[in-house]
Amino acid sequence: MSPYRTIETREAGDTFVVCVGGYLNNLLGEEVEKVVRAKLDDGVRRILINFQGTRMVNSIGISFVIGIVEKVMEQEGRMAFCALSRINCDLFRVTGLAKYVRSFETEKEALDYLSGNA
Amino acid sequence: MRLFGTMGAETSFREEDFFGREEELSALTRAALEGSRGIGSSFMIYGPPNIGKTSLLLKLAKVLGASAGGNGLPRPFPLYFSFSQILSHPLALSQHFLQEFLSQLLRFLGDERPSAFDPAAMCDRLASFGVTGCREVLAAHERCTAEGDGLSALVNALSFPFSASGELFYPVFLFDDFQYTAKLQAVPEGAMLSILRPYIKSGHFPMFLSGSSPGRVTAALKREGLFGTFQMIEVGGLSTSSSVRLWGHLCERRRVDIPAALLPRASERLGGIPTYQRMLVEEIFFRGAKVPDAVTLENLYAVSVTEGKLNRYWREFFENTFPNRVRRGRAIRFLKRILCDRFPLDTMEGAISLMGASEEEGETILSALEFKGLLKADLDQLTFLGDPVLADFLYWAFERGVLGKGTSQVAAAIVQARLSHTAPEPGQGGDHARRVAIVKELMRKWDLREVPLLLLDFGMFREKFGGKGLLEVVIGMEREAVRVRLPKVSSVSTGYRASRGGPRFDFDLVAYGFLASDFSEENLVIWAVDAAVEKNLGARAVEHFENRCRLLALEKGLPHDRLRKWMIINETTDPAAIDLASRYGIHLSHPTQLRLFLNLFGLEEPDREPESAHSPGPDATSAGKTLEYELVLPIKADSEVVAARVAEEVAAFAAVDADTVDRIKMAIIEACINAFEHSASESGKVRLRYVLSPDKIELFVQDDGKGFRTGMTPEESKKNRGWGLKLIRELVDDVEIITGPDGTVVRMMIHLGGDSANPGTNQQEEGGSASPGER
Repeated sequence: MSPYRTIETREAGDTFVVCVGGYLNNLLGEEVEKVVRAKLDDGVRRILINFQGTRMVNSIGISFVIGIVEKVMEQEGRMAFCALSRINCDLFRVTGLAKYVRSFETEKEALDYLSGNA
Repeated sequence: MRLFGTMGAETSFREEDFFGREEELSALTRAALEGSRGIGSSFMIYGPPNIGKTSLLLKLAKVLGASAGGNGLPRPFPLYFSFSQILSHPLALSQHFLQEFLSQLLRFLGDERPSAFDPAAMCDRLASFGVTGCREVLAAHERCTAEGDGLSALVNALSFPFSASGELFYPVFLFDDFQYTAKLQAVPEGAMLSILRPYIKSGHFPMFLSGSSPGRVTAALKREGLFGTFQMIEVGGLSTSSSVRLWGHLCERRRVDIPAALLPRASERLGGIPTYQRMLVEEIFFRGAKVPDAVTLENLYAVSVTEGKLNRYWREFFENTFPNRVRRGRAIRFLKRILCDRFPLDTMEGAISLMGASEEEGETILSALEFKGLLKADLDQLTFLGDPVLADFLYWAFERGVLGKGTSQVAAAIVQARLSHTAPEPGQGGDHARRVAIVKELMRKWDLREVPLLLLDFGMFREKFGGKGLLEVVIGMEREAVRVRLPKVSSVSTGYRASRGGPRFDFDLVAYGFLASDFSEENLVIWAVDAAVEKNLGARAVEHFENRCRLLALEKGLPHDRLRKWMIINETTDPAAIDLASRYGIHLSHPTQLRLFLNLFGLEEPDREPESAHSPGPDATSAGKTLEYELVLPIKADSEVVAARVAEEVAAFAAVDADTVDRIKMAIIEACINAFEHSASESGKVRLRYVLSPDKIELFVQDDGKGFRTGMTPEESKKNRGWGLKLIRELVDDVEIITGPDGTVVRMMIHLGGDSANPGTNQQEEGGSASPGER
């Protein structure tokens, strides 16, 4: 993987957490989509994407995120974002993502929301 | 019997009216006194007419006449002689010279001025002082006269003072209006100097030649090998302090009261020329006028120059010099162009063609001007000299003679012109001045080149390139077929109003040019240029400009197509202003067009004045400089990251906040990937430019492909793609996309210091125009 991209995954309870690091472009987007789709196929229905380490996003990267959101909704799963930078927030708003997926400042808030505690 | 004595300047010279020039006087006095020791130098005194050369010589004569020879050494005998009298025959001249010499010497030695010219009696009288040999010289002179041998008579007369000198005195010649010696009949030019040469060279007989046309005299000096022997002294206007003292003296004599605070300005008005000061004070005295303030003084001056003493002075000169009316008109019109309109000319051919006269007539006029000292001819180089009063007189003569204006109208214009220039124009800040300066430089470089007409036609330019970026426009311009031939500009005057004519002809620049390399009147074209001060050009400003242009065309007597009108506009224009300009044939250029225009001629846009509120950056940008980076990226994965990194560096220069840095980075990434994906570029490269100026950052992304994909294809929609342009619009303040046959340029702009945190408030630049929208 390119030095501009890192991806870490872990499970927090029944939520699958994907930490996206670096530059979210088509390659990283594809990577994220792949791991999320695999988890959905495994029956996981709660997905949290942590953008803490995402320094740059491009429109293709966003299109993959949109694709992921669509998949999750198709599977009637729940999804959340956390630690979005202000610019990414704006971009998600522009692309309409914000309408479908809630964003939280911290991972904990997001996990609470996904587990139904919020 | 004819009266003797030079009935000229020296009879009207008042020593008490002489002020200032201490330095010149002391140098000349010292040189004259050093003649007694054989180390005296000779001087050539030159300067424009009326400046006070004659006064200086006469004052010197007084000083020397009063000096006592020390230690038994001979005293300097100053012999003032003016050649300006029309004594073109050498016999008459030598006769006159002898009379002057005898009479002045007798007075120098202590006699009263004799009541009549009696040479024999004078010779006897001189013999009693120990000056012998007079009778012999006179006898020789009579012989020469009888034989009609002018040259020998002249040699005889001019040598006489030297042979007569001895222990008592040595002659110091103060020759005024020396240029007239070239006019002597049947005597070669320079003969005078040949005769005087051994005496000048000796160091015992310092000589002071004065003349307002030093070119001829210095040429003669060079021919005689005397040039190195002479020192040159240029006489200019009086210093302000001397001039003010002279005002005081003149006003006291005439009991005229002018407030002291007005005097320095009045001096400047008259070019520090003592003669004019005297005339103006007399004018005020004869009119019994009170001068409480500057306006009254200006009015009195205008009256004097249009119908009073100052007018008469110059009118007589022109009437005497050019008795023929047509020729006089030609000379006045010509001189006005040079001195008032500052038409720069330095060749004979140029001058004659500007006069529109035959070569013979042109040379006659130039020669007459040279004799008055209004023209200095050194080799082939002509320099025209004038002063403020002459300029005003010429203006009057021109307005009255050519335009048929009444004297009072002209006087009013003169006053108004002067008063309106006392304070700097409001709203003409540094930016404006710089813009004018750069346009001036540009015009000087035109040199008959052809350029796209679009550079001068904002309406057409906007129609064709609206919504396109700079690089695209540059490419488009190169292919532009409709071209206009620019003139060869021979002069551009800045602040035209300051020279002549008042607010009516108030332009930022007036350029004189020729439409062909042939420097002739029928090729003359004048460009009147204004750089708009207002941000948004209104129809009224265009109307005002057109009115001034019409007056200028009338004043210059130019056919309509020979006056070109050009307005450099600011950011925006009213549509009505553009319509009006096109109706009047006024060229309009937007800053973008100007930038292209400058580039064509290898010039750069002037630096913008930093606006304190708009300069968040460190040194480079706050100094008003534009930083520019260029980057060529290969089309391959992740190379847009490099572009983003560079953008980050550029943004760091502007010291913008982190959020803006992110926006810039994202925007450039989007533009790059769009270019990578959609351009189908043949070169496989994308060119980027980052331009950082104090008030904005501009980013240009150019590819040589098919164009920017501004909308989503159905396939893209399926894949949630095609967000590029939408995001860019969100990220930056202004976007333009220009697609042409050679590729696409995306121009993105971020305003600095503005509301960059809220890019939703997109600002659009007129002229650059808005983006064309989704296609």
